Amino acid sequence: MSASRPRRAAVTGIGVIAPNGASTETFWKSTKEGISVLDRITREGCEHLPLRVAGEVRDFDPAAAVEGRYLVQTDRFTHFAMAAADFAMEDARFGRAEVDGAPFSVGVITAAGSGGGEFGQRELQQLWGKGSRFVGPYQSIAWFYAASTGQISIRRGLKGPCGVVAADEAGGLDALAHAARAVRRGTDVIVAGSTEAPLAPYSMVCQLGYDELSTVEDPTRAYRPFTGAACGFVPAEGGAMLVVEGEDTARERGAPVRAYLAGHAATFTGASRWERSREGLAQAVRGALDEAGCAPEEIDVVFADALGVPEADRAEALAIVDALGAHGRRVPVTAPKTGIGRGYGAAPVLDAAAAVLAMEQSVVPPTPNVFDICHDLDLVTGRARAVEARTALVLSRGLMGSNSALVLRHGADT
Amino acid sequence: MSERITLEELAELMRKSAGVTVPPAELQQRSDTGFDALGVDSLGLLGIVGELENRYGAAMPPDAERSKTPRQFLDLVNTALMTGA
Repeated sequence: MSASRPRRAAVTGIGVIAPNGASTETFWKSTKEGISVLDRITREGCEHLPLRVAGEVRDFDPAAAVEGRYLVQTDRFTHFAMAAADFAMEDARFGRAEVDGAPFSVGVITAAGSGGGEFGQRELQQLWGKGSRFVGPYQSIAWFYAASTGQISIRRGLKGPCGVVAADEAGGLDALAHAARAVRRGTDVIVAGSTEAPLAPYSMVCQLGYDELSTVEDPTRAYRPFTGAACGFVPAEGGAMLVVEGEDTARERGAPVRAYLAGHAATFTGASRWERSREGLAQAVRGALDEAGCAPEEIDVVFADALGVPEADRAEALAIVDALGAHGRRVPVTAPKTGIGRGYGAAPVLDAAAAVLAMEQSVVPPTPNVFDICHDLDLVTGRARAVEARTALVLSRGLMGSNSALVLRHGADT
Repeated sequence: MSERITLEELAELMRKSAGVTVPPAELQQRSDTGFDALGVDSLGLLGIVGELENRYGAAMPPDAERSKTPRQFLDLVNTALMTGA
């Protein structure tokens, strides 16, 4: 490339399968209205476990979303990913003809925190219940972190650069950053994002070891970050996929640019060392602002990580002010995930999707179930707030110690 | 063992093990079509072989999972079932 301005990574499509809606439209409507869908877990085989509340995706029929062979061959997290990718590509008006025109210039990058736990459990039960000869061969790929990337690539014929970020929550933002980087390096389109399906017995037992997990039984009280009643986080399933595309190719084919992935940075400060995440998260924000060429005062809305653990909430509130200065106390901050739960790597991708929609519609969605903030933040609670947002900051921290920040710019900004 | 694996049973196994639905009558007509063209990949065929071995309590010939077409597959496994008993 010449010394001219680097290619910008645009978001041209959004696809969502979330607990509050199995389409982008329903997700956004529920998010904007601050509806909480956190509820008692109903998944079979989970009744006896001490984790009682989660964000389940109930309005999704895998058989209607994917072909029979993928129902048999892949896990629920991949069904979500394929359906969300379909929505995103449809939204971007990027169909078969576009893919077939240049299949090697379209890739896939997903993030996964746990892979296909439900599929894996079924096959492992066959192994220990009946013997190794009763384990189906698709076990070898279905429970793999990379399964969704591979299956989307196969199903949609996408032959460009592919990758998977196997990581904690922050990996969702890192996957979007990888997509932006691939686009800057010359790939035209990356279908990127994250979906998770951690609400099956085996996967839930794995999560019981997390001190940060909320085991409160009342759905309205189980996940209340930034309050004196914070008692941990509530898990969720589902996620989102975005079409990330070179601005030039989007313009050439007449696809509306919904937003730009303007800057990203990630740091690592150690598993569950929440006090130290203050420094790591602030540094990630500075890095993301720097890459975006964005001043702290330009940030119009912050989508917080909002873990719901007092020490972690304090670290995040302080990090926002550390990185944004006095502006950090004035800028609207929101955490819509308190209404749907925290879907591990998928959570920040849903936040990124909501950030794009918030900028498009000049409205910041509220933080459901959260009142009486005990930190020096302007957290949007109760109802949505009208905000002319041109630039959004999405924050994510993972239970394993990753911190990540992503700056998005409004699509009309050139 | 005098049982023979029928086209119906293969169609059922394709659906169960690989998620690929081809009605028996169609499979009959397309018995020389490659498994790949029918939508059954190598893992799918491996799963079908494993399921048959569990069902009949007999090992299938090592070449079974490398069969290219339904006809080739049925010939191989049925020969094995009849001679291996």
